Parts: sequence; C-alpha cells; structure tokens
Amino acid sequence: MGVALRAGRVIGLLALAALVIAFPSLAPDPFILSVGVVITSYAVLATSWNFVGGFTGYISLGHAAYSGLGAYATGLLIVRAGFNPWAALLVGGVLVALLAIPIGIASLRVRGASFVIVSIALVLITLLVFQSWGDFTGGSDGLRVPRPFGPDVMRPEQHERFFYLHAALLAVALLCWWVIDRSRFGAGLKAIREDEDKAQSLGVPTFTYKLVAFVVSAFFTALAGGLYALWFGFLDPVFQFSILAGSYLVLMSLLGGIRSLFGPLLGAVVVGYAMEYFKAQYGDTQLHLVAMGVLLAVVVLFMPDGIIPALNGLVNRFRPRAASIREVSQGELAERRREAEPPAAGATQEVGR
Amino acid sequence: MSGSLLLQSLLLGVLLGGLYALLAAGLTLYFGVMRVVMLAHSAFLILAAYLAWFFTVETGLDPLLSLVFTVPLFFGIGVGMQRLLISRLRPATLTMMSVLLTFSIALVIEGMLGFAFTGTHRRISLSYSGADIALFGASIPVVKLIAFGLAVVSLAGLYVLLKATRFGQALRATIQHGEAAQLVGINTDRIAGYGFGLGLATAAIGGTALALDSTIYPSLHWHWIGPLMAIIVVGGLGSIPGAAIAAMVLGLGQSLLQIPLGTTWAQTLFYVALFATLMLHPQGFFGGRLAQRF
Repeated sequence: MGVALRAGRVIGLLALAALVIAFPSLAPDPFILSVGVVITSYAVLATSWNFVGGFTGYISLGHAAYSGLGAYATGLLIVRAGFNPWAALLVGGVLVALLAIPIGIASLRVRGASFVIVSIALVLITLLVFQSWGDFTGGSDGLRVPRPFGPDVMRPEQHERFFYLHAALLAVALLCWWVIDRSRFGAGLKAIREDEDKAQSLGVPTFTYKLVAFVVSAFFTALAGGLYALWFGFLDPVFQFSILAGSYLVLMSLLGGIRSLFGPLLGAVVVGYAMEYFKAQYGDTQLHLVAMGVLLAVVVLFMPDGIIPALNGLVNRFRPRAASIREVSQGELAERRREAEPPAAGATQEVGR
Repeated sequence: MSGSLLLQSLLLGVLLGGLYALLAAGLTLYFGVMRVVMLAHSAFLILAAYLAWFFTVETGLDPLLSLVFTVPLFFGIGVGMQRLLISRLRPATLTMMSVLLTFSIALVIEGMLGFAFTGTHRRISLSYSGADIALFGASIPVVKLIAFGLAVVSLAGLYVLLKATRFGQALRATIQHGEAAQLVGINTDRIAGYGFGLGLATAAIGGTALALDSTIYPSLHWHWIGPLMAIIVVGGLGSIPGAAIAAMVLGLGQSLLQIPLGTTWAQTLFYVALFATLMLHPQGFFGGRLAQRF
C-alpha cells in the first residue's frame, strides 16, 4: 500500500473523529441532535450485524431479536432487580451473548435460505413471548426504563451524552471488526463466506468460527439495544422485535458495503437520514415503507457490493491499471512469461502441451 | 375437555391445515424452480384479500368472483417478477439476495395498501358470514368450509397440472435437474417464469379464501410469514407433499393447543417445530431432498 494512501486514510479517520466529536456543538437544535443519536445507534447496530453478515455471508434478517433482548434485559434488570443502569447494560449484553450460543448452535447448522428463515422466526417468537408475558415484561403496554442521569440533566444535554456514548460504542465495535478483519480468525471467516465446504476441507473449524462471530455480533447488538433503551426510556415489543428494524440493518450494511470496515457506518448515515426524512415527510401514510422497499430493491439489484466498492470501481476505471497480481489476467501472464523466456524453450513448452 | 369441543377443534384444525397447505404450496414452488425464498408471498396474499374486499364493496358481488381477475393478474405478475427481477440476480448469491428482493417487494405492497386503503381494519360482510353447519355437536362455520374447498380444488388442480400435462412434466424436470431439462429441449427460463406465476396464482386463491373470514389490514402479512416459513422448513424446503403434510400436522396441532393454551401461545408451536426440525433433521421431516419428488 502506498504511503500516500495510508496517510490519506489516517487523515480521513481523524476527520471522521473530529466530525463526530464536533457534531453536538454543530447541531442547530435538540431534534437534530436526537437524530444524530438515532443514526449513531443504527451505525452501531449495522456494524454489529456485519460481524456475521460481512465476514461469513450469512444474512440475518433477525438481529432485532438481539437488540430487543439487550434493551429488555437492561430495562428489566434496572426495574425488576434494582441494578445500576450501566451494570445492567453490561450484564444484559453478556446474558444475550450467552443466549446467542444455543441459538447459534441451532441456526448455524443450516445455510442460505433456511438460515434467513430461522432468523425471521427468532424475531417473531421473541415478539410473541414479550407481548404475551405481560406481567413480567410489561407486554403491549410497554416498559418504562428510568433515565440513568439525574432529573437535573436536561434533555439536550442528555442527547449529547448519549451521542458520545453511542459514538464510543461504535468506535469499540469498529476496532473489534478491524482486528478480526486482519486476523487469522477473520481469514477463516472470509473463507467460509467464499466457499464454506472448501474452507472446511482446508481445516478451518467452520462451525466454531461461525459461532464465535455470531456471539460477538449478538453481544454488540445487545449493547446497542441496551444503550438505546437507556436513552429512549421506553420499550414496546412491536418496535423492539420487528423484522422491519432487522431488515434496515441489512439494508444499511449492504448499501455501504459489507466487506469494508466503514460500509455499515456509511449505510447507517444514508439510510438513517433517509428514514427520518421520509417519516417526517410521509409519516401519516405508509409511503415511507414503499421508499425503503424501493431503495432495498435498487441496492440488491444494482449494487449488491455496496457504495464503497461501487465508487472504487468507478475510480479505478479512470486510473492507470493496477499492478497487483490479481488484476492480471491469465492470458496477460502467459504473454509476459513467453516474452521473458528464450523463444526455443517457449516453443518446446508449447509443443509439450 | 368435552367430546364435541375436541371434535370441533379437530375439524377446524383440518380446515386450517388445508388452507395452510395451499399457501405453503406456492412457497415450495418458488423454492423448487428458482431456489427463491419468497418473503412477499404473504404480502400478495393480503393484496389478494384486499382486491376481493374491494371487488365486493364496489360491485356487491360475491368475493369469490374476484378470482376471475386476480388469478390471471397474479399469474402475470409472477411471470414478470421472475423474468424482470429475480433472473437478474447473480447465481452465486441468488438465495440470499432473493430473500432481500422479495422482502422489498413485500414492503412496497404493504406501503401501497396502507396508502390506498389506509390502516383501517376491513372485513367482507357476506350473507353466509355467520352461518354454521352442525355436525355431531360441533359447529363448523360455512366460510371456513368454503375456504377449505377452495384449497382442496386448487391443490388437486395443481397436482393434475404437474402430473398430467406436458407443462407439468417440464416444470418437474426443471425442478429436478435444470441442466438436464435444457438438454432435452425444455426452455427452462420460460418454465421457471410460469412456475413462479403458478405459485403467485395460489396466493390469489389463498388470499381470497382468507378474506372470507378474517379481518384484514396492511401489516397482516407479518403474521403469516412465520407460520408459512415454519411449514416449509418442517416439510422440507421445496417439497410439495412435505409442505402439505406439515401444514396439516401443524394446523391440527395449533387448533388443538388453542384449547389449553389460548391462541397466542398456540402460535409458538410453529416456532418450536421449526427449531426442533433444525436441531434434529435440518433437511425437513416429510419431504425428500429439495423437491426431488412431487
């Protein structure tokens, strides 16, 4: 990698960090600030989703189950067990991660379509349980989660603190993804994505790898859900356990690009903003569903690899051809060898074939 | 539990199972011909139910007559969907991406229904809505019998079509081994389109049957996705007889469990069955491997 490219990346990263840190002071009013919190929350969720989706290629439409469970675990630990809010958040995340182990063992046994079906079923079953088990979870009346900061902390300041908390969680999740991406474990996961049978025959412990990625993903998703619960202060099963919410994460990740570190973040910003916009414009009608549906279809049909690769492809088209070995076709390689070798040897080789 | 209550639950379970079988048959067709998990199936179901309701409200005629329009319309939409959208996806990621694509279609349908008819709950009022038939102390609603009759007729029609016609033969060949089917001169692209249309036509019939005795609203399709997906997994993805048996077993089970558990908890049966199937027998209990037989 060129020095210039690396320096460019560092500058980009610093600019991103500066933008995130400055956002609360740039935001003109508390509403925009709260939109910022929602978008960072989506960014954490999409990045967490990408631990499974990006590395292994297993598309889960049901990650709302883990964020909802994390949110409810946090809320219930505070309300029913008298936990400190931050302890409840962490314990809730660990509990959901533990729960994800048996779920992962059951659902990762199947691939492709069946896996998606299981992930959908998971959301529907958690919705059913949390709605029906009203005397413990609050049922359809919802669950009020007490605010972690005292009553003297005003609403805008509360938004600001939660914006930074979400951004910090996002940074941890991104760092974790980056570390895995560069590790042997990550290479194994990506081998599963490309060809699971071959990966297995090459000695990758595919099932264990998938399960670990799945549990890490569930853990971060649950933390994001719990943090959201502390911020929003109210949980309703219909919104917590919704396939729609789960599908938005998939849309964000796919749109931004599931193979890149910042893809889901980018997707979360684009889709999160679009969603808030559509809801504000067409909130009364159901047209925001149509808009989201069309957007998802466009992404799936025309840029399944996401914005970042699509843009990269566009840039590469105008660049001089890269010299990496992968960019050279077999024909060009043979041509080059023939030029390098003495003509007689080339001729015998040709005959030998 | 009294004998007549048990009998009533059994009969209602069979009727429900029949309807489930019709709806799941469409799903197995899509999976069979294209390896597509069609999440929009239940959204089309609700669309057909709305069209039947709208037809009755506008003309005052029986909702069953709307089938004359909806069945060909849905068949056409199915063929178009397969040719214009599904066939554009890359083969390597077809299964996953088709899930997302059909999911987006479901969102568009739900959004359009909400836009056109609002979120208000709708119900068709029929002269025979409240009528029951008494049978050994059990009372069976006439509308459920009609829905079951529709399911039986269309499943029988589907069976005859697949078994006795040249088109059915070609479709089965395409499902069993696409390349071999091409080698013997079958235009598998066209057949896949027709197969998709056929699946969607079953949604038109199922949706109309559904509209006879249930209240409909745009987001209702979410309630159907889970049970239908559970049925095709338990039955073995892509197997029509597997789906039919699983639909019958789960429909009966749901109906019987409703007596001690109530309607909500009885619904969990589908998910319990789904997870049990994956733990014990991931390829499904009743079907062969991926639509090997019909």
